[in-house]
Amino acid sequence: MDIELLEKGHRFAPVSFTLEEADVARYLEAVEDAALPSLCRAEGQAWAPPMAVAALALRGLMEAMGLPPGAIHGSQEFEFRRPVVVGERLASRAWLAHRSQRSGWLVLAVEMEATDEAGQAVLAGRASVLIPQ
Amino acid sequence: MRPDTWIAGRELPSLSKSLTQAKIDAYARASGDFNPIHVDAAFAAATPFGGTIAHGMLLLAYISEMLTAAFGRAWLSAGRLKARFKGVARPGDTLTVRGRVERAQDEGRRLFAAVECVNQAGDLLVVGDVEVRLDG
Repeated sequence: MDIELLEKGHRFAPVSFTLEEADVARYLEAVEDAALPSLCRAEGQAWAPPMAVAALALRGLMEAMGLPPGAIHGSQEFEFRRPVVVGERLASRAWLAHRSQRSGWLVLAVEMEATDEAGQAVLAGRASVLIPQ
Repeated sequence: MRPDTWIAGRELPSLSKSLTQAKIDAYARASGDFNPIHVDAAFAAATPFGGTIAHGMLLLAYISEMLTAAFGRAWLSAGRLKARFKGVARPGDTLTVRGRVERAQDEGRRLFAAVECVNQAGDLLVVGDVEVRLDG
């Protein structure tokens, strides 16, 4: 995919993903999150960190976009609709919502939604990405 | 925590993180984001940043930890975050994440808070607006 040719409204192919227990453990260790394990123990639940769900949803998107090296995040919005349980299979869908050029950067904004197997949204978001030109 | 506990002006429980390249590398492995701006010192040195920088999503993970500690299940069930990246975090930085309730609606069941991440020099790296429904 040539990112230079992407037009506003472009829809990326859906990406499916699952946060397995090992993925969550690796993530929690990497971000040193003590709050979520504490909450899960208190609630007797096995929830995935919301930002891990977001990161995996974004990863599929970024891979699909074929972002060049040096691309950086400009802004990020997330809306969490419900906790995601470890092991749930999710699908993310995304589309290009904005495209502009600014001071030597290509600015892309992508809106996305992650849904469960019943098609219910668990996460919605918008990411803006700055790509050096 | 009961809804009436969160009143405008109340500080969220802040947290501090010491950032290292090893932690950035660990986040790259955990997230699958191996953009060389984060993990390749030689590549990053040739960019306007002059060296590797942390993933923006790593900083948001720190903010999310604070919001999980503050709001528990409500953050996972009905939390919204709108974040803007204002600066970059580098290996060696000490990061502080903090926030404050700006206002409450619906008898305290709907909260609006401002959050931020700063480095040891006080440079603003991330600013964000948060909304949480405590009955979500």
